[in-house]
Amino acid sequence: MELKICHLYPEVLNLYGDRGNIICMRRRLEWRGIGCSVDLLRIGEKADFTQYDIFFIGGGQDFEQEVLLGDLRDGKDKSLIAAVEDGRTFLTICGGYQMMGHYYETHDGVKCEFLGAVDFCTVGADVRMIDNYCFKLGAESGGSTVVGFENHSGKTYLGAGVNPLGRVIKGNGNNGEDGTEGVRYKNVFGSYSHGPILPKNPQLCDVILESALVRKYGKAELEPLTDSFEVQAHDAVYKMITGA
Amino acid sequence: MFFKKDVLADVSEGMDIIVVTGTNGKTTTANMLESALTESGQKVLANKSGANLLSGVTAEFCCAAGGTGKPSGKIAVIECDEGALKQVVPLIKPKVIVVTNLFRDQLDRYGEVMHTLEQIKTGIEKVPDAVLCLNSGDSLVSSIALGVKNKVVYYGLDMPFGDQNPRVVSDAIHCVRCGAEYRYNFYTYAHLGDFYCPNCGYKRCRPEVAVTSIDQMDADGTDIQLVAGGEEYSARIGLPAIYNVYNAAAAVAAYYAFGSDVGQMIDTLSRIHSSFGRMETFKPGRQPVQMILVKNPAGCTQTIEFLTSLGKDYVLILGLNDRTADGHDISWIWDADYEKFAADPHVLKVYVTGDRAEDMQLRLKYAGLAEDKICLEKRTENLLETMKTSSAPVFVMPNYTSMLELRKLLSDATGAREFWEKQE
Ligand SMILES: [Zn+2]
Repeated sequence: MELKICHLYPEVLNLYGDRGNIICMRRRLEWRGIGCSVDLLRIGEKADFTQYDIFFIGGGQDFEQEVLLGDLRDGKDKSLIAAVEDGRTFLTICGGYQMMGHYYETHDGVKCEFLGAVDFCTVGADVRMIDNYCFKLGAESGGSTVVGFENHSGKTYLGAGVNPLGRVIKGNGNNGEDGTEGVRYKNVFGSYSHGPILPKNPQLCDVILESALVRKYGKAELEPLTDSFEVQAHDAVYKMITGA
Repeated sequence: MFFKKDVLADVSEGMDIIVVTGTNGKTTTANMLESALTESGQKVLANKSGANLLSGVTAEFCCAAGGTGKPSGKIAVIECDEGALKQVVPLIKPKVIVVTNLFRDQLDRYGEVMHTLEQIKTGIEKVPDAVLCLNSGDSLVSSIALGVKNKVVYYGLDMPFGDQNPRVVSDAIHCVRCGAEYRYNFYTYAHLGDFYCPNCGYKRCRPEVAVTSIDQMDADGTDIQLVAGGEEYSARIGLPAIYNVYNAAAAVAAYYAFGSDVGQMIDTLSRIHSSFGRMETFKPGRQPVQMILVKNPAGCTQTIEFLTSLGKDYVLILGLNDRTADGHDISWIWDADYEKFAADPHVLKVYVTGDRAEDMQLRLKYAGLAEDKICLEKRTENLLETMKTSSAPVFVMPNYTSMLELRKLLSDATGAREFWEKQE
């Protein structure tokens, strides 16, 4: 067995230790004897998207996202939407998460058109939502608690009938208003949590890997791992955030 | 403390001042300049305590002024925070401004690097008569020269150094002028090197103060060849690692721009020892304990590359806090190359400590380090015991507030003086 990961725009969307998510997926596959390859796909580079099982898109600096949107419209947009509908797995964080929705509207009304692969949109706000936070995953994503670090001023609002990735326990999540965090649509996992999200939340990492294995091989039985360091790191932050 | 608005302008008037700013290396570069000027017989005012915001700089000048209203010396070397530059330099009107480098730092904010660059430019536009010393290999720093009237002295490495693979993680991928992707004739470290933009032609300027070869590099220092103002020099820098070669080049450039004798600065460099945790050595037991402050991925990876190139056994202590002065977001540890420690057989044991020790422990596991080589130890008294009884040299890599704690622990145990007590 082998999973092929495509890391999209690693040269621009690489803020906040996103690389840790790739390291985590790769290791947790390797430890179970499952092969893993990672291709980096930069601006201007073309690839056949049907060869990939997992797409990873991270967060980036505002000024560089302009360059990136031009590249998306140059054909990658249609391939990515097709991959989503095809049930391929996506892990998208922060700016990469926002990019999967319809648009980002800045505070002064300028609209930036995004992929529209999932029904949600993001609106710029005055206040930056920034701190350690935690949320509880929806049942379809395993139901465990996730700890992370959020840092965004955009407020994301999900369309009717679109499921969040989880429900905020402490912190802001999508918009600080409706208690939702991230998105789960087909096998698209979107979240504001960088930090990075996966190493301290191994159950979520395994749910993501399983979604890709099931799509490719029809079934997935991931052997349990000794997650003592993972659990220690998760619990230390959870305690810091909730005091419990 | 409250000060009259123009008091800094008043007390600093008529002085010859060098200002050092940039993400990494400010303190070391300022130390080099201060030491050389002092050794040349000058009385130098410097803000050694790291008080590098407007309030701290003002306090430093006012303390030195005492009752007479003017500092007794005529020369000052001032380390200045990048964000505070635009407030400080219009008041003190420096003769020379050195910019060391620009890296992602304090990752709590989006667009940090570009924002910092804009702030530095805003400051420099207010003092067109100051000579700028710019790192020629840093595409962000050298872009400051675009569109300002100041005279510029470029410094840097005029040769490749280390790993020449294209950078996957970089703080400056795209041309600051046109957005096209840079290409490189060679790299030195992180995003530094001989960059050029294939689209608009923006590129590295050949440095006037240039390191032309690195002959020897070990835990105690580096031997280099350097050209300044057309003259060739052999220099010994009494501090290890590539970033200190850049700091030395920055100091030489500033000294040169200041009109002082470069040969005398070269002489001083061999006697420089870093202070305040940048690369400080303690001897609590039989083995040396060396402390190296790390606060961002570029500096951290550079330190890791340096340690893993030594070829001798060592013990590591990694300290990670997430307090306000450190930045609450510690995710940058995933961008630093801890994988190199996993590949180095000379790493005997790694102790992790600090508020976020569990995160560091996890990072090391995913870097590929064997779990039984990793030890979580939050009690500093136990760490001290480990340092005292270690049979191999110990390297401590803390971030800022962790460094303050560990430094206090070590100075209490060894009787080392606090950094602000350093004699002039
Ligand atoms: Zn250009």
